[in-house]
Amino acid sequence: MSRTSIIALLIFGAILGYFLSFGAETTRNFQAQVYQWLAPFFSTGSGLQKQITSVRTGLKSLEELERENAALQVDNRQLKATNQALRDVEHEVNRLRHALNYRERSVFKLVPAEIVTRDSSTWWHTVTINRGKEDKIESDMPVVTDEGLVGKTTTVSQTISVVLLVTDENCKVAASVEGTREQGIVSGERVSGGLTPVLNLNFLTKQANLQPGQKAYTSGVGGVFPSGLVIGTVKSFRLRELDGQATLAPAVDMTHLEDVFVVTGRK
Amino acid sequence: MIFFFILLVLVTTAQIAEFFIPPIDWMYHAHIYIAPVIVFYGAVALPFPLMLALALFAGIILDALTVQVIGSKVEISMGWSILLYAVLAGIMHGLRPLFVRGRWEVHCILTGICTSAIILAQYLMITFRRGSLFFSPEVWWQIGGPGLIAMLMAPPVFLILHWIARLTRYPYLPEKGHFE
Repeated sequence: MSRTSIIALLIFGAILGYFLSFGAETTRNFQAQVYQWLAPFFSTGSGLQKQITSVRTGLKSLEELERENAALQVDNRQLKATNQALRDVEHEVNRLRHALNYRERSVFKLVPAEIVTRDSSTWWHTVTINRGKEDKIESDMPVVTDEGLVGKTTTVSQTISVVLLVTDENCKVAASVEGTREQGIVSGERVSGGLTPVLNLNFLTKQANLQPGQKAYTSGVGGVFPSGLVIGTVKSFRLRELDGQATLAPAVDMTHLEDVFVVTGRK
Repeated sequence: MIFFFILLVLVTTAQIAEFFIPPIDWMYHAHIYIAPVIVFYGAVALPFPLMLALALFAGIILDALTVQVIGSKVEISMGWSILLYAVLAGIMHGLRPLFVRGRWEVHCILTGICTSAIILAQYLMITFRRGSLFFSPEVWWQIGGPGLIAMLMAPPVFLILHWIARLTRYPYLPEKGHFE
């Protein structure tokens, strides 16, 4: 091995040792800094992705229209395309109005946020949102939609934050089940087999006997999540050696999330 | 040197692009990883010191964007991806003489295997933390799927990078006194 290679290896070892010595706080700060540097690229990428998706949707509906109305003339098709575009705008307005209504009637102080990116890794379920310290967002703040619980913030930079989704195995939420005195801990799965992820409600009593359709809410134990937020609906219940376990369908469809709210406190 | 900096930019771009590429549903949500393909190309195209620098850079970016900090706990501490990249890139670098001679097929296959190795290592590390080691078909697909995709992506990506290398007049010369 040449002298240059040995020197390079030594420098590499020193830098590696420096990074391996990082504690949780240092890692969080470093991560926040990197996210902050890359925030403009994430925002641009998110915008581009939305444009591409909308163009693709437009083309698809045109194809459908062509199939259904082969006899129609070009003008007619253009009108229909315009109509479709207006319907998209109407859908957007309805969605935002819905979100605004939720924000107004909610008992929490909510900061609206948009999903910028979705998880890029295999084992962790996270999304990034376009709100950060500038909007008074901190770590461990609950993230919700009008449908229910989404997750909690972890790394927060100035303008961008990472949200750990409730479907991640590491996101543990104290929960209670409607109509019962049952309490347990909800967590996601390490590997989801189906198209939609499921949640596990663990540490229930063996007598719980939960029925499909019962709703699970946050119990407020633990301090991060306020009580009363819908987590999901019971799909099945099974007895284990020491306790009972229920499988829940998440209240929020994580694959189609667009807008969320960060709970910054109570009104 | 210009080529090395181009590779750094490409690794960053690929890492950002991965956030916008949805996982493949029919492959049990296997993710598409582009950055490792570029890093492993760099491992065979660059001399040893620059290969280490590229592995260091890619590892830092990967860790910074994926490491989970929950409360006062870091699941996989910063630096592990650097080590993984360096070890795997080191293995690839060992086959550089073959690459310099224009034989790419081994490197394309190895790129897929190394990509899966990174994900397998991540899985083993989080399992060590969380407990309950299991290998279901879903786990194997999520580990093997990205490797297969990387293997398929490798030839065109390598061709493009090779073309960029020629544009920047990067000489694929073996290190002096090392391979000859």
